[in-house]
Amino acid sequence: MDHPTETPAVHGAHDSHDAPVDLAKSIRLYLKVGALLILFTCVTWGVALIDFGSHALNIGIGLAIATFKVALVSLIFMHLNHERGLVYKVLLFTVIFGAAMMFLFVLAYMDPIKAALAH
Amino acid sequence: MEIPYTVTARPDTGLYNAKVGIWLFLASEVMLFGGLFSSYVFLRIGADFPWPRHELKVLPGFINTMVLIGSSVTVLSAWASLKARRYGWFQVNMLITLLCAVAFMGIKSFEYYGKFHHYSVIMQDGSVLDGHRPSDHPDHYAPESHNGDKVALTDVKTISLNLAKSEAGFLKHLRVSAGADKPYAEAPAGTVVKVRTPDGKEVDFDAAWFKPVKKSYRQLENVRSDLAIIKERIESPAKQIAAMKAAVTGTYPVPFDAAKAEKLAAQATELAASSKDKIKALEAKIAEMEKENPDAKASTLNLQVVGAPLTFLVNERDFAKYNAKEIIFRDDVVLTGTVKNDAIPLNADVIDLRESKDPEKSLVWKYYPELKAPFFKHKEEVTEHFVKKHAEHANDFEKDLDWQHEALRVEIEELVSKEDLEKIEDPAHAINIERSDKRFYSNFSPSRSPYYAIYFLMTGLHGLHVIGGAIVLGYFLLTGRKMYKNNPEHLANRVEVGGLFWHFVDLVWIFLFPVFYLL
Repeated sequence: MDHPTETPAVHGAHDSHDAPVDLAKSIRLYLKVGALLILFTCVTWGVALIDFGSHALNIGIGLAIATFKVALVSLIFMHLNHERGLVYKVLLFTVIFGAAMMFLFVLAYMDPIKAALAH
Repeated sequence: MEIPYTVTARPDTGLYNAKVGIWLFLASEVMLFGGLFSSYVFLRIGADFPWPRHELKVLPGFINTMVLIGSSVTVLSAWASLKARRYGWFQVNMLITLLCAVAFMGIKSFEYYGKFHHYSVIMQDGSVLDGHRPSDHPDHYAPESHNGDKVALTDVKTISLNLAKSEAGFLKHLRVSAGADKPYAEAPAGTVVKVRTPDGKEVDFDAAWFKPVKKSYRQLENVRSDLAIIKERIESPAKQIAAMKAAVTGTYPVPFDAAKAEKLAAQATELAASSKDKIKALEAKIAEMEKENPDAKASTLNLQVVGAPLTFLVNERDFAKYNAKEIIFRDDVVLTGTVKNDAIPLNADVIDLRESKDPEKSLVWKYYPELKAPFFKHKEEVTEHFVKKHAEHANDFEKDLDWQHEALRVEIEELVSKEDLEKIEDPAHAINIERSDKRFYSNFSPSRSPYYAIYFLMTGLHGLHVIGGAIVLGYFLLTGRKMYKNNPEHLANRVEVGGLFWHFVDLVWIFLFPVFYLL
């Protein structure tokens, strides 16, 4: 990834909005990432057609690629690779609440109340 | 009022305000979609039916992924163009972004349309046939009665209504023949049907006649109930006395209270005397009302059709049950005639016997006997291939979901020659599934299965986000010039915030695509 130093590309420009901007450089980066995302979309489709011996593995690989793509979008397109601390704090809480929600889901699936009553 | 920190960063957050706002909003959006994704997982793990795999056509979803990724790049370029003070480039990139949004929604509508016109019949034995309705075929006219949703009842001469329950809604199912090729056309506006009431009167059979009759019945019932309450009160003491007498020799004997019985008898006599006039008045009122509107006398109102017998085409969701002679509605309307057509016509494209009690004796073979041999041949080939690859499952392959998916759910085009397929797909050769053979019949709408429910819920909600995002970005494109002249950085920040939302929409789709289309 090319981090501009002399002429800041716009993806780093939010804290230096008066600085001159290298439009072509920024767009080149976005196009590269876009191409990478499309490539990985093709890979997702490709691996979905391959029989890895267990469907669970297919699901795992598919979700891993999707997670990688989401990381690309959020880090580069959404500038999370160089954002202010407050945004990360907000997202930290999102992660915590998201994890709590998933935990509730696991509880619903495991049904510990029923298990406890069975004893 | 000047809104602060639209361009410069707020000292304490280090960000301009809109950015804090959009991230808080996106955090809540993550929770919204996170909740739906966890519902998806829950539905999938807990499914008591084979979870559909590769049932959606991948190509439209794949193209839509490309379209959204492309639009993410252009929305960034639009923002970068503003940062570089190149308004023309901003306009071009934003326009492409919006065109991508339109393309995405266009492809999505195309997909939805395909699903809404694809049908599925679950047979009584659990076998499934998916396919298309011949009436949806552009080159094939089929009367409405042949679209599978409806039961056609002809020769209707008697109609029975329950004035306490029935509504006039059933009248919308009335059909008037518009010639031999359209025997079940809708009744044109102003069509008058005459019926004969029990007292021999001929009336126009429509809502304008029916509603007042129903109202009169209700009023009559109210007066009757007033009368019944008074009579009940007069009779009540006598009943109490009888109960007291019976209790003397009961299992738990209670001594007879003569004083109380005397008091009760006196009460009854007094009440009877004081209510005499009222009872008389109510009885007179009832007699008068019955005379005024004899149709409303009893709850059951039997009507005879005057003139040519009627035809009704009734949607399955509207009737409670039917047999060869009558259709009974949920609100107790009973139409008596002859069921002319109740079959479900289908040009099948998929046979799915994963849930079939006994694939060999599946109800599917009643309709497609010629496909039985090819189906089992295909099954054997799949099994051979599967066992070769998974030697460890040689004895229990039938429990394997992958095997079931490959061997028991087959697209008919895999089984037959091109000529035979053409015949099976020809609307003129559609099979007519007897309604008594089906357990469930639906198009691929949310009601088809929890998979389709969550598919439409999540992709639909995502589609609404696409529309919302496009409206906001379109607003920036249409009205941005003035702001660009006065304060270009403000416009750039607006576009950045709109862009962040747009990337989020892309990000959700990156998960939706593999989850629904591929895995």
